[in-house]
Amino acid sequence: MLSYILHRFKSSIVVLFVVSIITFFVLMIIPGNPAQLILGTDATPEMIEDLHAAMGLDKPLYQQYLGWLLNLLKLNMGKSYVYGESVRTLITKSLPVTISISIFAMAMAVFIAFFFGMISAIKRNSIIDYFSRSIMQLGAAIPSFWIGMVFIVYFGVRLKIFPVSGFVPIEQSFVRFIKSIFLPSVVLAIGEVGTLLRIIRSSMLDSLKQDYMDMAKVKGLSAGKIYIKYALRGALTAPLTIIGMQFAKLAGGTVVVETIFALPGLGRLVLTAVEHRDIVLLQGLVMFITSTVIFITLIVDILVMFLNPRIKSFHQGE
Amino acid sequence: MRKNVSLIIGIVLVLIIIAVWMLSFVLMPYNPNEMNIPNKFLKPDFSSEHILGTDNFGRDILSRIMYGSRNVLLVGIGSVTLGTVIGIFLGAVASMFKRFANTIIMRIMDGLMAFPGILLAMMLVTVVERGIQGSIIAISIFMVPVFARLVYSMILDTEDLLFIKAAKSYGSSKIQIFFRHYIPAMLPKLITQFSSAIGSAVMIETSLSFLGLGIQPPFASWGLMLSESRQFFLIYPYLAVAPGIAIIITVLGFNLIGDGLNDILISRRSQNE
Repeated sequence: MLSYILHRFKSSIVVLFVVSIITFFVLMIIPGNPAQLILGTDATPEMIEDLHAAMGLDKPLYQQYLGWLLNLLKLNMGKSYVYGESVRTLITKSLPVTISISIFAMAMAVFIAFFFGMISAIKRNSIIDYFSRSIMQLGAAIPSFWIGMVFIVYFGVRLKIFPVSGFVPIEQSFVRFIKSIFLPSVVLAIGEVGTLLRIIRSSMLDSLKQDYMDMAKVKGLSAGKIYIKYALRGALTAPLTIIGMQFAKLAGGTVVVETIFALPGLGRLVLTAVEHRDIVLLQGLVMFITSTVIFITLIVDILVMFLNPRIKSFHQGE
Repeated sequence: MRKNVSLIIGIVLVLIIIAVWMLSFVLMPYNPNEMNIPNKFLKPDFSSEHILGTDNFGRDILSRIMYGSRNVLLVGIGSVTLGTVIGIFLGAVASMFKRFANTIIMRIMDGLMAFPGILLAMMLVTVVERGIQGSIIAISIFMVPVFARLVYSMILDTEDLLFIKAAKSYGSSKIQIFFRHYIPAMLPKLITQFSSAIGSAVMIETSLSFLGLGIQPPFASWGLMLSESRQFFLIYPYLAVAPGIAIIITVLGFNLIGDGLNDILISRRSQNE
């Protein structure tokens, strides 16, 4: 078991290393001189050259990369030229927004997907099954920015139940905090619920076919006990892995939603960095978000291993 | 065989979009970029000259939807085709030349897969020029690891099958075996993945355009049309209806075809067993 954790840990480090190489070198082939970008058109050639040297851009690429990587390990991600603040401060400020909507959205998606996914599997080929699967297909095809716009007009402007834009920190007012993240979270959840529902349905169907289900029925257990204690437990592995992946991916997938609802989260920062070609900020953000994704995936994999005795014994047997 | 509803609906939806796309070359009512300010904000009216109405510049929405279908299909199909070709190549090379090439290629694929959602496309758009080409390049790199991994694992699975061993013992070269035996064996799965990938590529393209990072104005793209309608949406909500429905039809169509084909694959496999 320990060897499995060690193995997963090692491969995560390798992936992280590859990601850092991709991020650094892709953003290095950018056209134009970063020093020129920062100083603007008024700068004299001397000023540009000075800054160029100060940023270490005259050194060979591999030295620049190693220097950048070392700084990254010290959590020193440099300074954004658009905001004039350190990338670390910017990330710390925006993180609560993105985390709040991601957690809220995943909680909703998980609840809805388990509810309808289980019913879908138990009442296979019934009207509920067809209905939930059609809705799921539709949910995956509707662009989030479109639903977002509709929500803003109907719930925000017409009915005035929710604020149209902006974020209220939880310390300020809990009710207003929930209100400010509710609509964006629903929009995100709609995008995620389909994949999850599909996985839950198919692993529930698998689980219902197992011998221990017949055993449970023969023993005369109640329906609730059969489905929740036995079928669901056996069907939990795949959905858990997907939930972990989806939650991790939300960290980078909130750009569109944050833009529509004008939320000052990580996604907004990414968009600003791309729009203004703020390479230092973008590099920091990409590395931060991808590391988070890799870290969460690792944790979920280890969790799943503990939850599923079959995987555990499989790896012990190796 | 059970009727494959997903596949049928998917094909119908995709045919609608293809029809719109073909009509855009022969029968576009107006120039999609021609502004006509006095005619701005005409509401949709089937008896009028502007069936779907006009936008804030008086441009005909139907024509812009039709013109937009060219960009969406070009970027969607173009990027996935490019990603598939590169992905198949890398997956094949990785599976055939073990050790070094294998490790390098597959680790890079793992790295690319670790970028969440639209982040990789956004990072690439920073480097390439924004527009049709830029979107195709950005989205295709997103698709490469998906196909490379698929091909890699399928080749490893079929390597020990009898017909491959037979071909090897006949003295066929690796390239011959790849094109004559692996590709036909992988084709059903590749086509299935191809169709679903177009659905997600269209979604990424419209998102990029919506964020202003894809196709640039004044050219029409459905994502861009939605983004332009944002500031007028409160008073003229109809502006967002047509592009939204166009996106849904396209993404849903390709997704359903992918699902339908996948169902056929699964039922065929269970029949073989």
